[in-house]
Formats: sequence, structure tokens, C-alpha cells
Amino acid sequence: MTAVAVEARPPRAAGPSAPLRPGAVARQQRRTAYLLLAPCVIILLALAIFPLIFSGTLSFKVDSLYNPDIARFVGWRNYNDLFDDRRFWNSIELTVIWAVVVVSIQMVLGFFLAVLLDRKMKGAGLLRTLIIIPVFISPIAMGLTWRFIFEPVSGLANWILNTGFGLEKWTWLSHKDTALATLMFVDCWQWTPFIALILLAGMQSISPEINEAARLDRVRGVTYYWRIVIPLIRPVIMVVILIRLVDSIRIFDLNFIMTKGGPGSSTLLASVYDYTIFEQGHLGLMAAYGFLILILINIVVLAFLNTLYRTEKAARAADQP
Amino acid sequence: MTSSIYTRAINVLAVLVVVIWLIPVVWVALTSVKPTNVINAETPTFYSFEPTGEHYVEIFDRFRMDRAIVNSLVTVGVSTLIVMILALPAAYAVARMGLMGGDTWALVILSLRFLPGVVVVLPYFKMATWFSLIDTQIVLIVVYVAFGLPFAVWILRGFLLDLPKEVEEAARLDGLSWLQIIFRLILPMAAPGIAVTAIFTFVFSWNEYLYALFLTYDSATTMPVALQKTIDLYNVLWGSLSAGAVIQLLPMILVVFLLQRHIARGLALGAVK
Repeated sequence: MTAVAVEARPPRAAGPSAPLRPGAVARQQRRTAYLLLAPCVIILLALAIFPLIFSGTLSFKVDSLYNPDIARFVGWRNYNDLFDDRRFWNSIELTVIWAVVVVSIQMVLGFFLAVLLDRKMKGAGLLRTLIIIPVFISPIAMGLTWRFIFEPVSGLANWILNTGFGLEKWTWLSHKDTALATLMFVDCWQWTPFIALILLAGMQSISPEINEAARLDRVRGVTYYWRIVIPLIRPVIMVVILIRLVDSIRIFDLNFIMTKGGPGSSTLLASVYDYTIFEQGHLGLMAAYGFLILILINIVVLAFLNTLYRTEKAARAADQP
Repeated sequence: MTSSIYTRAINVLAVLVVVIWLIPVVWVALTSVKPTNVINAETPTFYSFEPTGEHYVEIFDRFRMDRAIVNSLVTVGVSTLIVMILALPAAYAVARMGLMGGDTWALVILSLRFLPGVVVVLPYFKMATWFSLIDTQIVLIVVYVAFGLPFAVWILRGFLLDLPKEVEEAARLDGLSWLQIIFRLILPMAAPGIAVTAIFTFVFSWNEYLYALFLTYDSATTMPVALQKTIDLYNVLWGSLSAGAVIQLLPMILVVFLLQRHIARGLALGAVK
């Protein structure tokens, strides 16, 4: 993200009153800036940083929701317990698979959707407005609606597949072989439009001169998108992938409301797993797992930024004669 | 000629894709006005049924949707207001005042958006228990301020960076203070951006579920939590559920139409700048 932010930022002009008395004015301005920033930073310290420290401490304790008297420090025990638990590794593996698969599908579909909506027909604006609706409605309301659609007996999905394609009725969400795929399908339904819209905004910010040059050179169709559009909107693509990766690893709502991790543990992604630990009352263990999710997210972000940085450097080196 | 047919075919395809994509939204609206026996029939129908309002009556009578609506409006509305009051000066400071490491501040603030809810919800739960604030609107307001602030600062900063600098410089020379500049000059100039940011903040909290699930259980529950109560282990009241879902969706669909082209800009700012 840093690399992109650096490129997108306009050059910083000198302060407004710079010519008058540079030193003193700049210093006074900086002090005011800190004052304006302070309330926001203090609140975030109290409501984000402090809870993080609190959670970190808790992860080294045994603490029960139902019996607060037994709370005491136990060192690394919670972490050791998790590392020894096969179901923990299972949920981490499932979460990584989930994030990679879901984001890949959404990026590809989102790109095609963006191309499809990137046209000058009457009503294109309305289509773009309509398609974004899924992004704005709550995963809870939609997750429950999808549960009804995938309901085995009277659900719409089975009816369409049965009358339209002659498939047998199937228990999509309550069979361990299809539950995760069904969940992925719903997640893609909700988030593909988000990606499409951001890519579309990128496509439409390509300057008319470039498009005109492409037209004169008869660069069209697949070549146009592959050779001109994708390289130009690459920064946007990278940031969107990053945001979606992080959000997919943290996913809770949809997973919780549609399957709650089941059947068995076939859809037990990290955050819902962590919630089940809370339900059992092991607060220390829950905090420890929460921290491991945070670390997992950081690993993914850093690995991603690292690759981004390296390909960027390689691309720049290739540009030099 | 062939190219015009080709273009028209793709136009039709675009319309088709959007229509199919929205079937689930249409489906929930239809289900909410279907009689229960039609809902549970083996053959689903889009049109052959007598519309009924019974599920809307039930969602209010039995599941206290009225209270959930008030709770959602109060917690989300108040927290959005507080977020905006805090975010505007902060965004201005990081965008415009030549703050040392202004971009670093902005990035650090944004990174808090990526905290997994399950990590911070436990401390919130503990703190709320100590102050006996569990199941109150206050605790959700406080948490939603923290939840909305990072993203609001980030998008607002994007909007502020796009404003022309000259007016502010003239105002500085005229001796206006920073707060005067922000609230008298920037506020009207950046009004569309501020409105978009406020609406985004509202939407995120309106749809929020995890914190509400942990921190409320009865008298302060918001709509997503109330919706989930239509489900128990043995029985799902699909009709009431759909009616509740429609009530929760409607304002969001309104928001989408209200924002229209600003959505792409807002999302892109949040994603890119």
C-alpha cells in the first residue's frame, strides 16, 4: 500500500505563509496540526491500542467467562495448547485456502464485470448503481436470505437446478463436501461488485489521449485490456487484492450466520473458531487465537507488499535502457 | 454493421448479468409478502400468490423490531456524528498542514481498520462488564466510534487532498485561525465528500454484527442481531426473517441510489489514495 500511496500523492507544496517568517510560522502550524489530530489519536489509542495490549496480556492467562476467580498467568500455555491442536491447524489452513480461492475468483469475475459495465450505453449508470447493492447490505440479512435460497426442499437454488438442469435436490449448506463451496459462492456474490466498481473507476480514469492512441493503432479487444488497461490500473488492482485478502481472512459474519463452522468443522474459519472458544468460556485461549489471526494477517500483508515492491523494482529496472 | 450487433449483444448481456445478480434481493422482498404455505411449498413462485403483510406484523410484535430499529438508529446515528466531528480536523491535519510524517499518521490510522474484530471484542466485553455497560446503547456508540474513525479519516483525507489550495491560502493571509478555516471554509467546500464519508460510516456500523453480538443481548440489540433471533435450532421463520431483512436492507438501497456516482469515488478513495 505504501508504494501506491507514494505514487498517488501530489507533490507537497510549501506551507501557505512560507514566505513570511518560515521557521516560527511552520512551527506554530505544526503544533496546531498535532492539536487537531490529538482527539482522534487519543480515542484510537484508548479504543484500539489499549484493547490490543489488554488482549495480548490476556493471551498469557487462564481466564474463564463463567468462573472469573481462577484467572492467573500461565505463560505460553495457551499458545502451546493451540499449536498442539489439530483443529487449530485445520482452521488456519482452511482460512488461507478460503482467502486465496475467494479473492482469486472475485478478482477475475470482478474484472470481467467491470469490462462488461465499462460501456457507453443508455442506462449504464443505472446498471452500475444496481450492481453495487450487494456490497451495501448486511452479510447477516443476505446470509440468512441465501440460507433460504439454498434450503433443500423449498429453496430456489434446488428448484432452478432441478427443473432447469435436471439435477437432484441437494443439501448444499449441511453437507460437508459442499458447505464451504456454497459459502464461497455467496461471498463472491457479495464482493465481486465491489471489485468491479473499483476497477471500473480505474478504467474510466485512463486518459482519453491514451484511448485515442490505442484506437488509432487499432489496439482493441483482449489486446487493449491486456496491454493497456491492466498495466495502467495495476496499482488499483494490487490495493484491492490486499484489502480483500485481509477482509477474507477476518471474515466472521457470513460464516457465522450461514454455517457457524459446520457441518463438522468443514467451514470452521479462523474468526468463527475463535468465537466457539469464547462460547466455551476460555477467554485466555480466545485472546491467544485472536493474536495468531492478527499475526497471520500481518504475514500475508507483508508478504504481499514485499512481492509488490520487488515486482515494482523489477519493472522499473526493465524500463531503464 | 456486425460490430453494432456485437455491441448490442454485449449490452443485453450486461443487463442480463445485473438482473440475475439481483435475484436474491428480489427474492427476499417477495418472500416477505408471501403467505407461509407458499413460502414452504416445494415449487417456488415469483408471482402466483396473494400478498400478505402478516410477516411484517409478526416481526414487530414477536421479535420487537421496533426497538431494534430505534437502537440501530440511535447507536449508528450518534456514533457517525461523533466520528465526523473527530475525523474532519484530523483528516485536515494529515492532508493539509504539512505535518511531519502526515502520510505515516494516515497509514497508521488506516491500518487499525484491518484489526480483526475477534481480537478487540474481548477487551471491549471485559471493559463493558466492569463499567456495567453491557447491553446498553452507550457501549455500542463508543465501539462504533472506534470502528468507524480510521476509515473516515482516510476517505476524508482523500477528498481534502483534491480541494484547491488557493482559497485556504487567502484565508490564512486574512488571519483566519485553523479551526475557522476548517469549519467556515472547508466544511462547505468539501460538503459532498463529507456527506459521502458520513454515509459510508453509517453503512458500516448499520451492518455491523460481531460487536453487537458480544456486547448486547436484549434491550440494546441492533437490527442484525434481532434478525438472527428469527432462527432457532428447529425452526426458521423464513417469512418474518425476510420481512426483517427487507426493513434492514431498504435504507441501504436508498443510500445506494442517493450516492450513485459518488460511491465509486468514495470506494476508490478509500481503496487507493
